[in-house]
Amino acid sequence: MTSAVLPNSVLANENAFASRRRNQLIIAGLIFAAVAALPRFVTDVYMQNVLILTLMFAALSQSWNILGGYCGQISLGHALYFGVGAYATTVLFVKYGVSPWFGMLAGGAMSAVLALALGWPCFRLKGHYFSIATIVIAEIGLLLVHNWDYLGGALGIQWPFGPDNWATLQFARDKIPYFYFALGLFIVTWLVTYFIEESRWGYWWRAVKDNPEAAASLGVTVFESKMAAAAISAFFTAIGGAFYAAFVAYIDPESVMAFRFSLLMALPAVLGGIGTLWGPAVGAAILIPITEITRSYAGGGGSGLDLIIYGTLIMVVALAKPEGILSIFRRSAKSENAS
Amino acid sequence: MKMNRRQLLMSGVAAAALAPMGRMAFAQAATEVVIGVVYPMSGSNAQIGVDAKHALETAADIINADYDLELQGAKGAGIAGLGGAKIRLVFADHQADPQKGRAEAERLITQDKVCAIIGAFHSSVSATVSATTERYGIPYIAADSSSPSLHRRNLKFFFRAAAHDEMFSKAMFDFMDAQKKKGKKIDSVALFHEDTIFGTDSSTVQQKLAAERGYKIAADIKYRANSPSLTAEVQQLKSGDADVLLPSSYTTDAILLVKTMAELGYKPKNIIAQAAGFSEKTVFDTVGDQLVGLISRGSFSLDLAAKRPFITKVNELFKARAGRDLNDNTSRQFTALLILADAIDRAKSVDGEQIRAALAAADIPGEKTIMPWKRVKFGPDGQNEDADPVLLQYVGENKFTTIYPEIAAVADAKWPMNA
Repeated sequence: MTSAVLPNSVLANENAFASRRRNQLIIAGLIFAAVAALPRFVTDVYMQNVLILTLMFAALSQSWNILGGYCGQISLGHALYFGVGAYATTVLFVKYGVSPWFGMLAGGAMSAVLALALGWPCFRLKGHYFSIATIVIAEIGLLLVHNWDYLGGALGIQWPFGPDNWATLQFARDKIPYFYFALGLFIVTWLVTYFIEESRWGYWWRAVKDNPEAAASLGVTVFESKMAAAAISAFFTAIGGAFYAAFVAYIDPESVMAFRFSLLMALPAVLGGIGTLWGPAVGAAILIPITEITRSYAGGGGSGLDLIIYGTLIMVVALAKPEGILSIFRRSAKSENAS
Repeated sequence: MKMNRRQLLMSGVAAAALAPMGRMAFAQAATEVVIGVVYPMSGSNAQIGVDAKHALETAADIINADYDLELQGAKGAGIAGLGGAKIRLVFADHQADPQKGRAEAERLITQDKVCAIIGAFHSSVSATVSATTERYGIPYIAADSSSPSLHRRNLKFFFRAAAHDEMFSKAMFDFMDAQKKKGKKIDSVALFHEDTIFGTDSSTVQQKLAAERGYKIAADIKYRANSPSLTAEVQQLKSGDADVLLPSSYTTDAILLVKTMAELGYKPKNIIAQAAGFSEKTVFDTVGDQLVGLISRGSFSLDLAAKRPFITKVNELFKARAGRDLNDNTSRQFTALLILADAIDRAKSVDGEQIRAALAAADIPGEKTIMPWKRVKFGPDGQNEDADPVLLQYVGENKFTTIYPEIAAVADAKWPMNA
């Protein structure tokens, strides 16, 4: 008797779920298409630069969100993976003439392995202790690179001047290729998040985030889940670092491995909505243009007005919407359902 | 209430995003020459940027108005070669970040249509800004970034009138050699340097010079810039007790170094500093009483005013804006704009290529600048090899006397410093 009723309701639920997922994908496709068309309207090089940075930080924050948002392991040391990607690509390209495309994947792989090696001891720590460990490890990485002459030490490494070329990712004045690369990277990280979100890993990560002991009692392999999240997160962060190195064409330890990068990767996700599919993108789309544009147009006077605006914004969001900006829409959706 | 908050947030975001749009599209008058300036205007080195702004505005004022000064580029109102066109400066903040410096340079070039850029204090930012100006074909003048690597990149549009760090270190060792000849005992030196591009470059050259000229290195200490504590490092200096301490530090580290030395009761026999922090008024305001007798290399000395009275006038004009005397950094920034104005005057154009050619052909005698240099003449790499540094000794109460080279010196060095 009951066996005939249950499958039907489950089926209905599954259908509703599948159509919701499909709709999400369609909406995302439309948003990506709209963003891809932006350079048609934004012809100013400076504004294109802002768009590129926004997409890059959206992608980086999306990568950070996999470990920090879904799995709940707040890392404040992602600058390390960013730096590994930037340095691997730069050294392979500048010293050995290896294509940045390969260097990028090599850097990503190195970062993923590094994340596993560091995860081995660090994932035994919980909560704030884990976060502090990530800060310390990233600082050690920064110091190492500072003193490593092979990597240019404090002098950094400048990319050579070459002709515009997709193979070497060098474009002297043109920003559009970088824009599409950054957009591509963001789409990939978004899709990875989208598919993992509803996969076994996705559920496991959220279980680990909510309560590791309860998750373990239900058969979730907590440690392995964290390791997988760290490796995937580090891989894409390193690709972002490789992109940054090609984009700026000069790297030094302070400009790719400083602590503020770790914060800049976490902030958009925290601001937009931690552990959500669109949180990092929303956060980056607000945070990066504001920091860039206020610095450029209000920062030249030396009054610090740009930093005041930046700080105020973060404070307002933290006080008014601690779960992130996306929670505004979530609440209104719920109340609509109720009424 | 909730709606209001949301609206407030959204409208704030929209306003911040749209505010600059109005400024973007303004037309450029033909009677002005627009020059970009990229400096740290916020963050830990904000004071450098604020001072640079005053120095460059003073220079622009001298060029634009009719002052009777014996300075190259100062005669008449505006730039004569362009029918008296006025200089307009556009300032940008790079926050010590090479990426931001590059983005700001692109903005200045494409939006404000600047014909040249001056910057940037941090050598790492000068590296990316000069790569950008190279790509857009306009000159970049590194007023005060002193890393030697900068002029060794075969850039066509890079110019530096001031000395680079190797020239500074060489002057320091030349001075020590001269002291030795006079019978002073100098056997060992201690290197103390921060770990960014500035300190690393500086110490590399000093190591090389010490080895070449037979000075023993009693201690070679590299420390983390903006370090919260230098106690361990100063202990090492104290136990090494070299005849000369050679620090390469920025402002906050310099203050911490001096305070820590006082706490640990270490009085170096002599200090010859690689300027930076040790040419900042803030350092001498804070811990100056412990630095009497300190020698710092410099690019500039107000003592020169005795030989060139117009320097006093320039200093007064600067002081009216900044509330302080011209120093190492501000004098170089000031001079960078005058050299650029002179080139634009001769180029009779704001075209990047033509200004570049005029800069490459520049030959300004030192007497027509405020600097102690022989002359301004750029080599094919864009470096002025005749930018002689000076050594200055701090005599207390925010005053320095020039002690080296003899041409510029007004007093003998007090050696050792605590004698």
